[in-house]
Amino acid sequence: MSTLSIKRISATASPAPGIRSTPEYAKLVDISSCIGCKGCEVACKEWNDLKVEPTANFGSYQSHKDLSAHTWLLMRFDEVEMSGRVQWLIKKDACLHCEDPGCLSACPAPGAIVQYENGIVDINHEHCIGCQFCVTGCPFDIPRFDKETKKVYKCNMCVDRVEAGLEPACVKTCPTHAISWGSKEDMLSLAEHKVDLLKDRGFENPVTYNPAGVGGTHMMYVVPHGNHLADYRLPANPTASPLPLTGLGVLKRIGAYLLGVGVLSSLVHYLTIGPQAAEDLHPHDH
Amino acid sequence: MTTEPAALIHRFNAAQRLIHWAVGISFTVLFLTGLAFSYPSLFWLTNLLGGGPTARALHPWVGLVFSISMAATFSMWMREMSLDATDWHWLRAIRAYAQHQTADVPPAGKYNGGQKLFFWAQTVLGVVLLISGLALWFPNTVANVVPTASTLLASMRLVHYAATLAGGLLLTMHVYLGLFAFPGTARGMIDGKVTRAWATMHHSAWEPATDATRVPKDDDRR
Ligand code: HEM
Ligand code: SF4
Ligand code: SF4
Repeated sequence: MSTLSIKRISATASPAPGIRSTPEYAKLVDISSCIGCKGCEVACKEWNDLKVEPTANFGSYQSHKDLSAHTWLLMRFDEVEMSGRVQWLIKKDACLHCEDPGCLSACPAPGAIVQYENGIVDINHEHCIGCQFCVTGCPFDIPRFDKETKKVYKCNMCVDRVEAGLEPACVKTCPTHAISWGSKEDMLSLAEHKVDLLKDRGFENPVTYNPAGVGGTHMMYVVPHGNHLADYRLPANPTASPLPLTGLGVLKRIGAYLLGVGVLSSLVHYLTIGPQAAEDLHPHDH
Repeated sequence: MTTEPAALIHRFNAAQRLIHWAVGISFTVLFLTGLAFSYPSLFWLTNLLGGGPTARALHPWVGLVFSISMAATFSMWMREMSLDATDWHWLRAIRAYAQHQTADVPPAGKYNGGQKLFFWAQTVLGVVLLISGLALWFPNTVANVVPTASTLLASMRLVHYAATLAGGLLLTMHVYLGLFAFPGTARGMIDGKVTRAWATMHHSAWEPATDATRVPKDDDRR
């Protein structure tokens, strides 16, 4: 996607180059409509041409144990007990494209992570240095490191399709329309509507997952049991700036100042008090 | 023992000098690339080690060189660097020392109180840098062992930076004192020799082995 659309850029002091104002897009995943067919998982592999990794039966319908550099989207199947009943939770796990991306603010490489005006957060692999700080910075544990390329990978919301006016591959393929695509505004009102429908059907705590701690996300969920977010592996209060990283930011400012003062005061000492050679104190006459 | 001020005394042997420069060079490289990873405006310093990705790949290996040479430094100087009453006495006159009011400074042995504190500070910082650096080198291993790895690793970034900052500030002072403020000091770490006058001024209570002293030839004078 064009640099004209870059809204935020990692490790760059100067302003981001974006001057376009494209609409903000969002993907809405209605967990209650998902049947766990994994069509989106396949569509993601196909469109992004990602390596097929061998699967193994570990007692679950889930394809792989975890996301990987080659698996950007994973349907997670979790069996949990909820109010005395076993619930089979199926959740699409992929980058949420946060409005305030923790990955981007943790990244030390200029331009390695960018956010476009439309809300998509993307990794520029030619600038990624492979430090994996984004993995730590992401409150949703999304980016994955590849040992061979020494770079980090994650869902890019099919940025190439979106740029061409298409919906992401997972949206297109979903047979139950559990995944919707549109402007962030439209998706928010659709989510409200879906939450109301769930309430009508007797769900007590359906919610829209669009957490404020990361400024909202561009992949939102309709969660049927909103009082059990942890069971869906969704953090209740994710934050883009955890305390240690905020502290690091403050310390870096102080540090820059202190290092400057250190070098300057050496210079000032040299120019005022000056160097002292032992030989000057003890002329050769001893 | 000669009292000839220009006479040369052996201060550091070859092994000590090699170990010291392994520490000095590796730390400097780590410090500069570390600054590059911390400050976007200094990212160009990664070019010292071949650009961003290469610098990121090499930084931990240089860290390993630093840690090993710090361990060697520790074992070679540990005993000589323990502080005693004379050192605390000396430290109280540090202001006079900085202003070259030599008469007000109590005598120091081979190393003065400031140097000894510097040694211990760098030793502690070296350990902190190694531990936090290993965690950042192998985040996946940490994540496999610790449940809240993100918070821990973010804290390790904070700790690694704080130790770097402290070490960098100390280094600025160390380099300034060794290379600029007191001419004649650097030579001790280059060919291992210092003049008798230098030793009397900085370390008057130091008694080098008698065979360390000799009257210099002309080309030894600097
Ligand atoms: C890279 C630039 C450095 C330069 C130019 C430098 C220079 C020197 C010099 C000239 C001495 C001899 C002082 C004397 O004769 O009393 C010395 C000693 C020493 N250096 Fe360095 N050094 C450097 C880096 C480091 C680093 C990075 C460390 C540790 C992290 C270190 C640790 C020490 C210690 C412990 C001593 C002995 C005690 C002392 O003099 O404070 N040096 N250095
Ligand atoms: S979910 Fe994680 S990887 Fe995706 S934008 Fe948010 S912080 Fe970045
Ligand atoms: S691994 Fe790459 S994208 Fe992630 S923080 Fe490091 S440089 Fe940035």
